[in-house]
Amino acid sequence: VLVTRISELSTRRTIMEASARSRRHGGWTLGGAALLWFLSYFGARGVIESVAFGSVWVYVAAWTPALPFALLLWLLIRGIREADELERRIHLEALVVAFPLTMLMLMVLGLLEIGIELDRENWGYRHVWAFLPVLYIVGIILARRRYGQ
Amino acid sequence: MNNRLKALRAERLWTQQDLADRAGVSRQTIHSIESGKYDPSLPLAFVLARIFDARIEEVFEP
Repeated sequence: VLVTRISELSTRRTIMEASARSRRHGGWTLGGAALLWFLSYFGARGVIESVAFGSVWVYVAAWTPALPFALLLWLLIRGIREADELERRIHLEALVVAFPLTMLMLMVLGLLEIGIELDRENWGYRHVWAFLPVLYIVGIILARRRYGQ
Repeated sequence: MNNRLKALRAERLWTQQDLADRAGVSRQTIHSIESGKYDPSLPLAFVLARIFDARIEEVFEP
């Protein structure tokens, strides 16, 4: 019985260590994918600003960040599947903060757009999309505080 | 929901990380449960009770 118990504990520890290594490795991979996406986004902006307005390269460059983003998305989904239940809840609550607030902002901007000329330099799509990840991070911070982390 | 996780863990001289490793969750999750800020799901509550060889109602009480 003792040998079986030791064997069970040893196996469990090996699995846990492998899982912890996997989580650490996953964090680095996610960070790398996020950096790649970040660089591709600013690379695309640089290309778009340097080519002629309406050029075919604008379309190519605008879609280029979608490739590293697809990798990032896959890693995020994998990360959530591997996360424990509290971590999943924290991300769910963060989305519950970020998604409706972004929707509200888009709705208000949409209504304003009917009545006034919105400044594209401040309220163009390239600025508005960034509110979602920022609010998502705010939501994560709020949820972590709620659960005492 | 009140729980005796901290006391049971202290009896065994386990750290939060030790318990987290055994339960397959993060140390932060154990901390949140112990401090009463997070109520675990029923499957996790059963896992935690089994780790201490106790019945679920001996670990958690409403």
